[in-house]
Amino acid sequence: MPSIDAHVHVFTKVSPEFPREVTSICPAEREEPAEKLLGVMEKHQIDQAVLVQIGGASIEHHSYLLHCLKSYPDRFLGIGLVPHDHPQPAEHMAELADGTGIIGFRLFELGGPRDIFATKDVQEFKTYPIWKCAAEKDYVLWLYPRSIDAHLLPYLVQAFPQVRVVLNHLGMTPGKGKFTLDELGRPQIQVSGYNLNMHTTYRMARFENVTVHLSGQYAFSREAYPYQNLAGWHGNLLNDFGIKRLMWATDFPWILEEPGYGELTTIIEKLLPNLSESELADIMGGNAKRFLRFPNRNA
Amino acid sequence: MIRPTPTQKTQWEQEGYLVFENAIQGDQLKRLQSVFDYWAAECKEEWLDRVEAGEAAATFYDIPSPLEKDPIFIDLIDHPSYYGALMEFTDDDLILLGPQVRTVAPWPVSYTGWHPDVGQSNPLHIKVQIYVNDVPAGSGEFGFVPRSHKPNSGPYKRPLLQESMPGHKTFPGKAGTAIMFNSCGWHTSMDNASDVPRKSIILIYEKRTPGRIGPEQFAAISEYCTTPERRKLFSLAD
Repeated sequence: MPSIDAHVHVFTKVSPEFPREVTSICPAEREEPAEKLLGVMEKHQIDQAVLVQIGGASIEHHSYLLHCLKSYPDRFLGIGLVPHDHPQPAEHMAELADGTGIIGFRLFELGGPRDIFATKDVQEFKTYPIWKCAAEKDYVLWLYPRSIDAHLLPYLVQAFPQVRVVLNHLGMTPGKGKFTLDELGRPQIQVSGYNLNMHTTYRMARFENVTVHLSGQYAFSREAYPYQNLAGWHGNLLNDFGIKRLMWATDFPWILEEPGYGELTTIIEKLLPNLSESELADIMGGNAKRFLRFPNRNA
Repeated sequence: MIRPTPTQKTQWEQEGYLVFENAIQGDQLKRLQSVFDYWAAECKEEWLDRVEAGEAAATFYDIPSPLEKDPIFIDLIDHPSYYGALMEFTDDDLILLGPQVRTVAPWPVSYTGWHPDVGQSNPLHIKVQIYVNDVPAGSGEFGFVPRSHKPNSGPYKRPLLQESMPGHKTFPGKAGTAIMFNSCGWHTSMDNASDVPRKSIILIYEKRTPGRIGPEQFAAISEYCTTPERRKLFSLAD
């Protein structure tokens, strides 16, 4: 069974060949190329990875992602972005995903009413066309919704039960104003001690096409690796979603310096110490291979 | 004080729950509904802001510090409809841990799965859930697994679907119904497929243990606690 890192980012310096947006987390001169990722993967016997677009949502911003997918077709699958308020999201999605290795799209907003008590019509949600396209084209939706959008999720999953959904980073839903960068340039998300997502994203467990990443621990924990204070969250996710719907990921490159890629390859066995060998293998790659339909790696 | 009947005592011991129909009724119920709705509306926007900030769950909210907002909430704590049973089951050594004056939004999935609140080693932990509006079947009614409070019961595992819990019983009821249960038992809120929010008040009690609740916890309502019994219930200084 392959080991698959189910959520990483790669990017180059800004260039005419590979244009991208410049942000505080991705300054113009920083680069974290695919070859660097492949180097640490090789070192730690990780076979494949999901490259998640960073640096902009336009077609040209995806140039480097598409380049990597084309260069290493048996190593990577890709997740793209859709521009906010794109008038024809289905066209954008099809252009990016047509034979390229991009298998799905990441969403941060779901575009429904803010008021949890308001009457919901999913066809009025701004992301409805994206979900409809995903259902028609069999794209995966990669979700890291804001706290205020978490309540919208079951309406969309109910409307499109065939769409494969991956909840990013422990199913967390960051609050407004709670995102910062730490001294190492890593995302930090301030969360409450009581896991509020027990009442929202964790409740999505009843929908069989919803899976969850076991990743991003460094961003939510105030403790050092292996982030033992999050062991309970992992246990709850295991209990609710079951062994076949959890996927390990590192969130490369943010973890390279602290705690290090190698440490993250053993985090699951530290936070879920009672797993059998085959259960661990499922989380470390078997589930991603099946759910995301990874190709076999060339010899 | 109305003590439980032998039948009620047996049911409590064996099944882990009791239902008090019409526990709150008449003008008191009307006033409770009015006060509940007023404060729920007053507090809703602040709750939504907290949801947006990632500081509150998005599927239900509680009116903050309800005992300080209206004395009717204080009167529910030692309401004669069920207070005698609470005292009986705790050997007349009852303390309040806190109230949750809760509005649960209609949602395709229940806001919580099946769970016990405490383990067997915890001092007797009792909750009383009072329906403020009518809660028919399929609209977020309370669910409980009878006998699951007993040490030799189970093991239980949270099912994906609320209705798949083996041996469970659901408790649809009219406004004013109070359901008392041993929180060691597995319980939940069933799915709410209606378009009506579930409004209820959950009162949390425990058999007294030293230092569990300090005298400052409910000091803000001290003026409403003039009898020795009430001061003891609210862990206030004599």
